Amino acid sequence: MTSPAKSFSRRTAAAGAASAAMMLGAGPAALAQPAGAVNFIGWSAAVDQVRAQISAFQAATGIAVNYENFPWAQYRTALVTRLVANAPIDCSWISDAWLPEFAEAGWLADISDVSALTRYNAETTAYCTQSMVYKAKQYGLAYYGDHMSFMVNTDMLARAGITTPPTTWEEVVEQSLRMKQQGVAEFPLLLSLAADTWLIEFVSALNFSFGGRFVDDAGNAVMADANRGAVRAARFLREAIHTHRILSPGAVETGEINGLRAFGSGAHAFAIVPTYRIRALNDPAQSSAAGKIRLALMPKGGPSGTHETCGWIRFWGMTPGAKADRARRERTLRFIEFFGGRDTAGNYSMQKLLLTDMGLPSCAVPLAQDPEVVQFWQRWAGGGAVVAEQAGLARKKDVISPWFGEWVETSNQAWQNVCLGRAEPEAAMRAAGAKWTELKRAFR
Amino acid sequence: MTRFGYDERSAALLVFPVLAVLLVVAAFPIIYSFWVSLHDIVLTRPLRRPFVGFDNYLRIFDDARFWTAVARTTVYTLVCVAVTTFLAVLVALLLNEVFPGQRLLSALLLVPWATPSVVNGLMWKWIYDPTYGLLNGLLVQVGLLERYRVWLGDPDITLLLIANAAIWKQMPLAALLMIVTMKAIPEDLYRAARVDGANIWQRFVHVTLPALRPGLMLVLVYETMISIRHFDLFLIMTQGGPGDASFTLSWLIYVETFRSLRFGTGAAMSYVLAITTFALSWAVIRFLGKRI
Repeated sequence: MTSPAKSFSRRTAAAGAASAAMMLGAGPAALAQPAGAVNFIGWSAAVDQVRAQISAFQAATGIAVNYENFPWAQYRTALVTRLVANAPIDCSWISDAWLPEFAEAGWLADISDVSALTRYNAETTAYCTQSMVYKAKQYGLAYYGDHMSFMVNTDMLARAGITTPPTTWEEVVEQSLRMKQQGVAEFPLLLSLAADTWLIEFVSALNFSFGGRFVDDAGNAVMADANRGAVRAARFLREAIHTHRILSPGAVETGEINGLRAFGSGAHAFAIVPTYRIRALNDPAQSSAAGKIRLALMPKGGPSGTHETCGWIRFWGMTPGAKADRARRERTLRFIEFFGGRDTAGNYSMQKLLLTDMGLPSCAVPLAQDPEVVQFWQRWAGGGAVVAEQAGLARKKDVISPWFGEWVETSNQAWQNVCLGRAEPEAAMRAAGAKWTELKRAFR
Repeated sequence: MTRFGYDERSAALLVFPVLAVLLVVAAFPIIYSFWVSLHDIVLTRPLRRPFVGFDNYLRIFDDARFWTAVARTTVYTLVCVAVTTFLAVLVALLLNEVFPGQRLLSALLLVPWATPSVVNGLMWKWIYDPTYGLLNGLLVQVGLLERYRVWLGDPDITLLLIANAAIWKQMPLAALLMIVTMKAIPEDLYRAARVDGANIWQRFVHVTLPALRPGLMLVLVYETMISIRHFDLFLIMTQGGPGDASFTLSWLIYVETFRSLRFGTGAAMSYVLAITTFALSWAVIRFLGKRI
């Protein structure tokens, strides 16, 4: 006689083993997305706008989209691990800082041979297009392009009797000291110098405004050269914190978001902020200083100073997997064009939506003349002239390289040590330069 | 001799799925990560992953960052373990007494322990905030501080401030373990000590403390293992900063593995950390175990 228990055990075990085998065997197929869909990964920004545009794309083309997003802080790691694991990704948002390492790793497909996309270069600012090019190949269409702006709180300036915003960093110090003496602000200058992903953009902007470079045109580290500006910029930071006390020592733990909140609270007169934040800063629902924040050109620093700033772009990139498969390629290219170029009605609808809803500046030249865009800058920044002038003076980060992700850890520590007074500017920049040289040599 | 009959075969069949799962989710990753630690794997260079033997281990021992991280981890662990254990004994002594509200206090004690680590980190980050933090507000109001201070931005005290947040969360569990151990001490021992004329301090030193050794061993091993591998608070509160002031071993492993994407050296560092943790635990057990 067969006992029920025995029968149950054997059948259950057999069924369980079969199910497990099926699941393991079916694996990716069982977990695959619906056939004919575009698999898109982005970071958790403009989520509602992206979803709205996806709906429009699906309605216009009938192509489904699987949209996944991750917080910015974890995005690069999450994307890399998926790419390494050959996850079925067709399109993703890419930062210009990752382009060389992603291209070298074979995770991005170039679109130089896709005339349907490259034709948009004629309508894109040159700086944006250049930021998507690596080794003479283009790797996508722009999502947005922005730069670091110098912003002033006009109300605080007026209270201190200052009528003209500073044009040099020396004037920033002078006006800040005046504000301190008059009790207008304890720390008039605000810089977000926490060791996060934004730090390189902040210090690059400062470095460029001092006429400095981290690396020369040949890619060799010049950051420790006292005449190239990076050391001068580092010295300025140290003096602003420890000598003049116009910048809070808390800057080293102030991230970009906290810096935005602090500036919006009306406690600081000067700040370096990504331009797209101007909308939030002048929105009464989000900022106590609303209506008082205006843009000024980045102050010049030192004898070789310029009004240059650091610019960056994020773009829509395609994976080689998508490019290799004809059907996937077609879908993905249509998706990228609809979002990074013109939609099926011939409008830059996504780029316009991102600007008017989020304040994200567009790389599309024709949009600058759009009445709604003109009105946007007028409403939130008092006009678009300074934005346009500063955008023209924006430089791509010169440290973008296949080893950027590793080097930036050392660089961040070097800048923080300068701010903390734990390292001399020259020594800190030498340490960052040595790491650059070591990584560059190791990459060959 | 045991016959491998029907019952044994059935048992083996039933145990096999769990064993298989354990092999896949536990044994395989451990072995595989060791294999990874013997290769020069950088995720952004997927086409080259040469076998380098123990070079990764030699490289990290030659890396100044590693030894800085070891020094910081040692300080952090010593502070966390010593203060947590000391406070746990004090709290256990208090709650081992009978007094009005003792039960309520015992229940409230568990609140920090039940608080999720991320919430704990955020809470303390806000408390230490240089512009609106509770600590600054309190100290300025009572006149101990003239102006708001940047707490986590001060590299000399950052590690201690993070340790404070960790102790706040870990101490309740340690106290609970101590209370359980204290409850097991026979009352007769105290009565005999009193008869012998022992005062309260002598009763603590000669009766309570020796009897607490099993609990102490547990607390020391557990707290050492937890503190040496702490990561969440560093991620939330300082990200290894300011500068490299809170660059502990677990943070260095995170940076090496998930930011620099160097999985080979990251895995090697993880093995060093794991082996160190085991060695320390083993030493504590050997040292205190002999005296139990």
